[in-house]
Amino acid sequence: MTLSRRHLMTGAAALAGSAALPGPAAAQDRANVGMILIGPVGDFGWSHMHDQGRRRMLEVLGDRVTSNLVESVAPPDFDRVATQLIRTGARLIFTTSFSYFAPTQRLAPRHPNVFFENATGPATLPNMAVYNARFYEGRYVQGVIAARKSRSKQIGYVATFPVPEVIHAINTVMRGAWSVDPSMRIRVVWVNAWSNPGREAEAARALIDQGCDVLCSHTDGPAPLQLAEQRGIHGFGQASDMTRFAPNAHLTSSVNSWGDYYAARARAVLEGNWQASDTWGGLGSGMFSLAPFTNMTPEQASEAERIRDALANGTLHAFDGPIIRQDGTPVIPAGQRLTDDQIRAMNYFYQGIDVAMP
Amino acid sequence: MLLLEAILLTVIVASTPLLLAAIGELVVERSGVLNLGVEGMMIMGAAVGIVAAITTGSSALGVAAAVAAGMAMAAIFGALTLGLAANQVAAGLALSIFGIGLSGVVGAGSVGVPREGIGQIALPLLSDIPFIGHVLFRQDPFVYASFALVAGVSWFLWRTRAGLVLRACGENPASAHALGYLVLRIRFLAVLFGGACAGLAGAYLSLVMTPFWSSGMTAGRGWIALAIVVFASWLPWRAALGAYLFGGVTILQLHAQGAGVPLPTQLLAALPYLITILVLVLIMALRRGGGGGPQSLGTPFVPDR
Repeated sequence: MTLSRRHLMTGAAALAGSAALPGPAAAQDRANVGMILIGPVGDFGWSHMHDQGRRRMLEVLGDRVTSNLVESVAPPDFDRVATQLIRTGARLIFTTSFSYFAPTQRLAPRHPNVFFENATGPATLPNMAVYNARFYEGRYVQGVIAARKSRSKQIGYVATFPVPEVIHAINTVMRGAWSVDPSMRIRVVWVNAWSNPGREAEAARALIDQGCDVLCSHTDGPAPLQLAEQRGIHGFGQASDMTRFAPNAHLTSSVNSWGDYYAARARAVLEGNWQASDTWGGLGSGMFSLAPFTNMTPEQASEAERIRDALANGTLHAFDGPIIRQDGTPVIPAGQRLTDDQIRAMNYFYQGIDVAMP
Repeated sequence: MLLLEAILLTVIVASTPLLLAAIGELVVERSGVLNLGVEGMMIMGAAVGIVAAITTGSSALGVAAAVAAGMAMAAIFGALTLGLAANQVAAGLALSIFGIGLSGVVGAGSVGVPREGIGQIALPLLSDIPFIGHVLFRQDPFVYASFALVAGVSWFLWRTRAGLVLRACGENPASAHALGYLVLRIRFLAVLFGGACAGLAGAYLSLVMTPFWSSGMTAGRGWIALAIVVFASWLPWRAALGAYLFGGVTILQLHAQGAGVPLPTQLLAALPYLITILVLVLIMALRRGGGGGPQSLGTPFVPDR
């Protein structure tokens, strides 16, 4: 009896809540924004930077916006957590993982009065936007720098999972490296985790022992970079500026910066002009930037800056043809460029990368 | 540096946290208590260790704090399972989950703070032995501590009276009780020792291996330590073997990937687990069954007064 009454009351409360919600197009004074993170805020990487973005949004919009954050949500728990956020009044929910794309897509039609934003999914719905940053542009710059710094001509890459995002990053590093020196080679170790500092350090050790002297990393933590510092070689930071972890080894970091985007999207909800957009921001968009170039000669730094600016203003593109697969099959000829969908679906290495696809 | 030497050095680094935690848990289980909370105690050691080291500026204080944190977590477990005779499996799992959560809170302020790691100390004379000296005796203090712990625990359990009593508590607590031994107190001390070792293992992760704090950085190593105890059939030397085997295969698969061995990386990543299971099965087959575990492992003991 108690149980059924409780259910009844929750149902009634939800009903009252949804009746109070204004329609999608109406402007409003205040909004509650929810955010769901795949990892802990304390990962100093992907999730950490999304939380930083949320804080920035609160700073920009002041007391017009409140927010609820739920961290370390495994995909099976997504529905429950998202529904809870909606019940507590969230009008806009950022679901910040590709693993949440399908669950968000499933949930969005059932809550037409709530706006969803998924990083880094490929498709939108009337009340679901997707957003991502063109991190590969930073990878191209890393490749150029690596080719200048490496004496052994071998780049080490601590990779996570063989998904398109990581695969096109590896391809782009080499594209950048070959633009300087076509004899550059790469070694890849997959750690099968987004965050496992110990394993990342072991992978970095293995790569260095095999002769790599510049390390790229796709995992979030500073472990590979710290190893580079310890062993007197060079490396790049990921997700946030990691200069202080490796004052002598750090070359540059790719720094994620979601704050302005979050503020703009929350403001759109307040003003009643939110639209389901597909945003893929590059170096020019401010969604990510490169940390100051360190441990380089002035010539190397200015070359890196020139490449970075060319990518940002669109005069240089990382996916211009000719693009040939590892096995020799051509993808596009010279003069063409991969479409965004082709980049998002990339599941092959370029010719010249002698690493087996797992 | 020779590649083989480099690989072995990495293997020792990878294996040491597993060995430290496993040797502690081995003593706990020998006393008849199954503490599944190793992961929780380890990560609390990692978090408290790095936070204390950052706050005080001293690595030694960091290690001490990590050990204390591991023991504090173990004391909670001891109070529940020994004081209140709670279910050990449930309490241990709860301790793991609790530790992972609490460590996030403890470490929150230290996210993204860099710190100098604890360096290697070359032992005089020994480190000059070619090859072996380079691999074994130019290590950080934790590695030496793990060597000492294996030898010490082995000696304690089989060559001392106190060790015999501890094992008796794990085999037949009622008899030990009848002989006048304070079973619960002995078990509690064993649990504290296990916590200290797990805390030390955690400190190794956050102060030596990757000197920074990151939530969830133990990444399941506590569970592997538990498996190593079973693998070792509760013998310290075999625990060392198990830890180095597991660490060795882990490092070799990373090297195999870097060298471009054309095998699926998922399979390579599973290799350490597969080989561990294989060896376990072989050991079982050779001994014709019988795990050799303490008879009363996991059974709460309530002394009748």
